[in-house]
Amino acid sequence: MTARIPTVCPYCAVGCGFYITRNGMEYMQDHPVNEGALCPKGNAALDVLNHVDRLRYPMMRIGDDWIRVSWSEALDRVAEEMQRALREKGPGALAFLGSAKCTNEENYIFQKIARLMGTNSIDNSARRCHSPTIIALRRMLGTPAMTNPVSDLALSDCIFIIGSNLAENHPVVARWILRAKDRGAAVIVADPRVTPTAWLADLHLQLNPGTDIALINGMINVILNEGLENSSFIKERTSGFEGLDLSDYTPERVSSITGLRAGDIVRAARLYAKAGASSIVYCMGITQHSCGTENVTACANLALVCGHVGRPGAGILPLRGQNNVQGACDMGALADFYPGWRSVDDSRAIDELRRLWNARALPLGRGLTADMMPEADLRFLYVMGEDIVNSHPAVSRRRERLKRGFMVVQDIFMTDTARIADLVLPAAAWAEKEGTFTSTERRVQWVSRAREAPGEARPDLWILSEVAARLGFDLSPEPEEVLAEINQAVPAYRGISRSNAGARGGIIWPCPHPDHPGTPVLHTERFSTPDGRARISPVHHPALERTSPQHPLILITGRVVLHYNAGSMSMRSEGLVKREPEIRIDVHPEDAARFGVADGDAVMIETRWGRARARAKLTPRQKRGTLFMPFHFPETNLVASEIIDEKSMMPELKVAACRIWRAD
Amino acid sequence: MGKIYLDPERCIGCRSCEVACEREHGHPRISVDKVKDLAAVPVYCHQCDTAPCAAVCYTGSLRLDGDMVVFDPDLCTLCGLCFVACPFGAIELDSVIHRCDLCGGTPVCVMTCPTEALQLEDIDAITGSTRSRAAGVLAARVRV
Repeated sequence: MTARIPTVCPYCAVGCGFYITRNGMEYMQDHPVNEGALCPKGNAALDVLNHVDRLRYPMMRIGDDWIRVSWSEALDRVAEEMQRALREKGPGALAFLGSAKCTNEENYIFQKIARLMGTNSIDNSARRCHSPTIIALRRMLGTPAMTNPVSDLALSDCIFIIGSNLAENHPVVARWILRAKDRGAAVIVADPRVTPTAWLADLHLQLNPGTDIALINGMINVILNEGLENSSFIKERTSGFEGLDLSDYTPERVSSITGLRAGDIVRAARLYAKAGASSIVYCMGITQHSCGTENVTACANLALVCGHVGRPGAGILPLRGQNNVQGACDMGALADFYPGWRSVDDSRAIDELRRLWNARALPLGRGLTADMMPEADLRFLYVMGEDIVNSHPAVSRRRERLKRGFMVVQDIFMTDTARIADLVLPAAAWAEKEGTFTSTERRVQWVSRAREAPGEARPDLWILSEVAARLGFDLSPEPEEVLAEINQAVPAYRGISRSNAGARGGIIWPCPHPDHPGTPVLHTERFSTPDGRARISPVHHPALERTSPQHPLILITGRVVLHYNAGSMSMRSEGLVKREPEIRIDVHPEDAARFGVADGDAVMIETRWGRARARAKLTPRQKRGTLFMPFHFPETNLVASEIIDEKSMMPELKVAACRIWRAD
Repeated sequence: MGKIYLDPERCIGCRSCEVACEREHGHPRISVDKVKDLAAVPVYCHQCDTAPCAAVCYTGSLRLDGDMVVFDPDLCTLCGLCFVACPFGAIELDSVIHRCDLCGGTPVCVMTCPTEALQLEDIDAITGSTRSRAAGVLAARVRV
């Protein structure tokens, strides 16, 4: 192997490049997204390779013990159990969880196996990060993805960040926002908390949790009243504007809902509408609500009314969470979509895949999403690279119900999900295999093998291909061959190859043919809806869970910079763990005084969903009347809400009425 | 050689510089202090021109060499005077002295900083880019 191998960070979805060398890492200064920079997690990325906890050989459960088994024995067992469940209970008894950490090729093959077995019960962690984005942006714009690349933010004149703490969760994105500020751009941050992202703001809107629609509708109302809308854009490129009556969202009424000053709402509206090119950046503060799909709709309405879409510096930028969550969705590892965003209800679109796959029939209709799996009568569950027990509150509370039949977990570590499985298969980590990853900005990058996998760990694609062979399906274990099939199955990936995805910075989809340079900015001429027009569609402020005398505070959940999602990787990095060793709950000093809590106290938190223990941290950054818990620690799932957005099946993770008291 | 300059308005407190420095040197020589959770400031060796650490070092273990303070561990007696003298608390003392050596010219803290809050430049370049940034911001205000 050569001395340094280019790779892409395995943590968040920004898609930063760096080099892996024989002894460590080097920065990649000519990468188009990060220009060499990395966040703390990126700097610690190599800690997961060759970690002492890595799974090294297949293991079978015997009672409470694990015994080492051979690969052939393990693979035979997977196929036998899958076929037995199918024979005895039909395809409805099978479920699959794909991985936003695995490659496009692996997710494509994984969902293909699920569907060839006759089920659409295949999901991935996008369900609880951007499922509302998928539903709303697909319907409104035609393409459920970021409209502009991250570096495009440097060209914006106004950046409206709502429900995103990107300075902690996607730190490299802040680089491009600061470049815009250097040019004089205005930055508006809407967030109940004074986050490091809010430090970058010219205007910080510290709104009440869950009142995003009221704020955005209020801004649109100001824009329409003052004639700041882009009439020609609305006329030529959108439909549905005539149904947008938001006249009762006056600054005064919105002020009473959101807790913001009416003048700040007006100022935000003017800054966003008047700028030459404005961008909206949003994340899970928008999506993780029972009104998540409506929240995304409101964001897109604002952009469409002002015509801030389809130009450099003007776009809608949902920041995705995992290194390949966009790709896993593009590949159809979703209960409601086949590869290429073909709806499970669209029999004509699915028929194209049936022919490509030489299948007799493919299942129609939405399968089980992750949250529904514990309640379903499953006989076989296959989890690839996902710690679902520590990531879905509903699953976390009912983990024993998840395992009613045979359960296989394929991972790099013995996660809490793996612990309840019958069979654990050791997988290669990102730098020990090959394939493509698609970042938040639709950038598809080929990753090469830089290290040997430990013990008998194997690439997920090899494992899946071996399982498939035992089921009678001939599926290639070679990433390049699978990518060639993806070219046929996913229109946006038609021209993507190892060669263009392997070049520095890869290629941004849609890439319709091999010589195409990629498409950094979407919707420049027309939207990808059937008639080419974007849909404006009114949404309204919903009823929210309210505080009560018993539960007088609102609990917000989210992330911190030094940890990552369920923590199976970041919790194994010494450099990260020692800086953020335990769960802390942020409390405003006045609330702390009210409830008799001091800094550093062990406290109990209770919602109507459960109780958890944490250590209190008093901080003025917390909004009065709210608490904040990071969800990297299992405790947060014990208290998080299970109310669901029915359109996207997203749980309400940002608003739960709660109380706090000292635990002694 | 330039020095490391900080623009505290750009720092988001992510501690990437700390983690990178620790990976490179075993013990971080830069540390990020969050002030009331409302701002963050990385604290590190500023390679002072009249370096208090070198001035108090009676063995010559720490001494000025051109722009940089250099450290010779063989002469160090671990007396701790430099530790006390440094106005930034940027020298740490356990069994050895941990002091920034600018990574031999390409400091990892600067390379990894997501927001370009840390820069390795000479002073003219820093003031020059600050001036052009200020001009950009003022121009945008005039345009609106």
